[in-house]
Amino acid sequence: MAQQNTIAGGPLNVVGKRGPNIDAVERVTGRAKYTGDIDIPGMLVARVLRSPRPHARIAAIDTSKAEAVTGVRAVMTYKDAPKVMIWGSRQYALNDRVRFKGEAVAILAAVDAETADRALKLITVEYEPLPFVLDPEEALKPGAPQLFPDGNLEGQPRMLNRGDVEQGLKESDKVIERFYHCPTMWSGGMEPRACVAQWDGDHLTLWASTQAPFRVHGSLTAMFNVPDANVRVISSYVGGGFGTKSAPHTDEALAAMLARKARLPVKLQYTREEEILDSNTRFETKIYVRLGVKKDMTLHALDVKAYINQGAYHTRLGGLGNQSTHVYKSPHVRTVQYRVHTNIPNTGPTRGVGDPQETFAIESVMDEIAIEMGWDPMEFRLKNIKRNGDPIARGAVGTEDGRLVAQALDKCIEAGASRMQWNRRNAVAGSPTGTKARGIGIACTERGGGAGLAGASVRVNLDGSVHVLFASTDIGQGSRTTLSMIASEVLGIPLSLFRTTAGDTEMAPYDGGSYGNRTLQGTGRAVEAAARACLQQILAAASPTLNNAAPADLEIRDSIIRVKADPARQVKVADVMQRRGRSVTGDGATAALQTGVDVERTSGAHFVEVEVDKETGKVHIIKYISAHDVGRPINVTIVENQIEGGTIQGLALTQGEEMRFDERTGACLTGSFVDLKPPTALDFDPRVIEAIIVPNEGTTGPFGGKGLGENPCHPGMAAVANAIYNATGVRLREVPFTRAKILRALSEPRRT
Amino acid sequence: MANDDREKSERSVSRRAFLKGGAIATGALSAALIPAVGAEAQLPDAVELDPRHSTVALKVNGVAYRKEIPNRTTLLQFLREDLKLTGTKMGCDRMQCGACTVIVNGRNVYSCTTLAVEAAGGEVLTIEGLAKDDVLHPIQQAFVEHSGYQCGFCTSGQIMSTKVFLDRMPNPTEDQARLALSGNLCRCAAYKKILESVMAASRLTRA
Repeated sequence: MAQQNTIAGGPLNVVGKRGPNIDAVERVTGRAKYTGDIDIPGMLVARVLRSPRPHARIAAIDTSKAEAVTGVRAVMTYKDAPKVMIWGSRQYALNDRVRFKGEAVAILAAVDAETADRALKLITVEYEPLPFVLDPEEALKPGAPQLFPDGNLEGQPRMLNRGDVEQGLKESDKVIERFYHCPTMWSGGMEPRACVAQWDGDHLTLWASTQAPFRVHGSLTAMFNVPDANVRVISSYVGGGFGTKSAPHTDEALAAMLARKARLPVKLQYTREEEILDSNTRFETKIYVRLGVKKDMTLHALDVKAYINQGAYHTRLGGLGNQSTHVYKSPHVRTVQYRVHTNIPNTGPTRGVGDPQETFAIESVMDEIAIEMGWDPMEFRLKNIKRNGDPIARGAVGTEDGRLVAQALDKCIEAGASRMQWNRRNAVAGSPTGTKARGIGIACTERGGGAGLAGASVRVNLDGSVHVLFASTDIGQGSRTTLSMIASEVLGIPLSLFRTTAGDTEMAPYDGGSYGNRTLQGTGRAVEAAARACLQQILAAASPTLNNAAPADLEIRDSIIRVKADPARQVKVADVMQRRGRSVTGDGATAALQTGVDVERTSGAHFVEVEVDKETGKVHIIKYISAHDVGRPINVTIVENQIEGGTIQGLALTQGEEMRFDERTGACLTGSFVDLKPPTALDFDPRVIEAIIVPNEGTTGPFGGKGLGENPCHPGMAAVANAIYNATGVRLREVPFTRAKILRALSEPRRT
Repeated sequence: MANDDREKSERSVSRRAFLKGGAIATGALSAALIPAVGAEAQLPDAVELDPRHSTVALKVNGVAYRKEIPNRTTLLQFLREDLKLTGTKMGCDRMQCGACTVIVNGRNVYSCTTLAVEAAGGEVLTIEGLAKDDVLHPIQQAFVEHSGYQCGFCTSGQIMSTKVFLDRMPNPTEDQARLALSGNLCRCAAYKKILESVMAASRLTRA
């Protein structure tokens, strides 16, 4: 590497500090423009006609009356829709067959919303109903309604194998077998899906609320068969992502199709009901687990069989495995996943691609067997967790071909336990005798981050101000700030001189997007490389004014270039840039994160104290400690905010957000916030949530940082279930933990 | 069947808004303009356009506007579409999330379920009107300093609710603040930093 402005291990001036986001003022003044705020003169309003049936063929469709309405500019059905599937999916934007209740059947664009609504009602559709199935296990049975010609099972069952699990279970001193269930859960953000499409000849500009502009770009270039250069996707401010916007969706295609046909810009803004119904929700998982241990407290065999309800179409397939294969050492592990299509709406990754669901199963069963064996559940975990140097799989395979480095799960457990005062927990579960029983639970988790291709550009302008351009997105995780801080640290130019362009495929090089803990270690490394390229050029340009000092002997502090050995010899960055007369540009691109045998992961441990009211079934969170390894935090405030918010999102899964479907009609019964009950400031007292950032340093990310976003959302369900058990002696294996479920469990005779 | 389902789920804005009518009694609206619930139930189709228009005169962020609009126009639509004030957001369109919160005559209202004509003659304050001459309002300053947001989509609503709350209760407890903001969802669940921001705002506004 060329000269480094900030030497690794040296003092840092920007990274590791607290502070507001660089776009905080935009966010608190209403100036931040989200996709729904885009307004183009003459822009049409789009509306979607949705299927009232969960599974049907379209026998006939008549749009003539709608087309005749004054003000209607374009109407489309499967007949004139491109016969190209949405990227990564099995879905056409419009098809002659619908596979969930709410799937788009026809679309139109009109001069205003009223006209569009009125015209939409004039489209008549004749459906030929087909039998439907909602449950993933039912869908695999012989005779089940079939969604696709090759059946309901998507691909082959995904299998991760290590050792011989059947043999391992035989060798175990104790084996328990359990079933854990997480239903389909809503996972959208505050901003309903929105996009604006505008064609200029055969050049498309699409503003979209997406996490992955280049994935949407790829989907649209394929759909319209135009060169990459002809499509520009812009996703500047995004009102929450959480994974549901991490892949292309039908709405982007629908808006682009309408705009092309109408030859006018089109805005497609989903209502809240549409967003809930036609987004990518957290998939249902039914997990069967067998766990075997030896008397010496070692985990010996773990067998996980999961049925994942992908719904009608998947944006990404369920990918369990992190929690069963990477957290604990076990000679024998088998994880089999059946990804099954059913007639519920689309599913996709949500803040951990199945990680919260898998964490719930694994961390519950770990607790159950420890208690049956009379072990301290935390000691049992500490005995079995993978530590630095332990073998670990490098990719999504069972074979442990790599070596774990920069891991700090043990430190997370120790820090969290100390803060929670773990030894306060009931030695005997359910021993509190009063109406209100308190108990303490633990759950661990881990995940990788930074996979895939990333790129970024940094430009230093003639006045010494800096522009950071990237095509991943700031979905609220603060990447505009974090990425700028990385460049600021490298360049020695203060953050106040930074501007960002986020999520623009025309302004920035290819980047997979913001999902899966990857923005920091993907785009972040690209930004670091781009900033270093700029630094080199600036120092070279400054050299002649500083007696031809070698660039390696120069440094920049507060936008002033100095000779390290003689700081009095200095020149302003702005002066050098003015003299140069041309801006300085640096590009950075990164490929796979892990190339050698070293494997770096991100982990965390959560501890929760609950109080269960045995008369009402109400679970009250008394104290919640979220201890996470984030490597080196780039911005401490942002990391805390992520941990605190993610923790509440994980807790939310314990109380609500379940999407329910009518077995007779396939209709979604939870189409509003009132039904889904995402938490307000009253549901969980935010003051009792405490984030602990465990001191650590990563080996691959910029300045030792690690991706974090997903992890805080993983352990909530398991931690709370384990705490409820410790308080009451009843074990909950199905989320959400409603009061009715808790009261029912409390009234049942105890199993021993 | 399809259209029946469709009608129930679509364009119920005007109906909800009508049902909500009276939430703010400005007295500026003729009773004849709002059908009683009984009358509404007899309408052949709630989607049927109500052709009636009214001229509304009101102040938004201190600026006087007079504009003829369909009676069914919600205050949210009026702000976002007619006045192009897009800082106020639509999160649910049925007063369940608070992203659309604005202040009308000193009260925080869900602008998605308030008709613009209901605010006629009144003073509306939106997020755009809070900062004066590019100097942030102390509440905005507090939200900046304490990072009381993540994605920012709910933030306008959080701040407007905080404004009314602190106007009424300048020195609240944290529990009172939690209660006051319980009508504003934050899906990122940045509640801890939002609460810190509100308490800091209370200190700043009293200073």
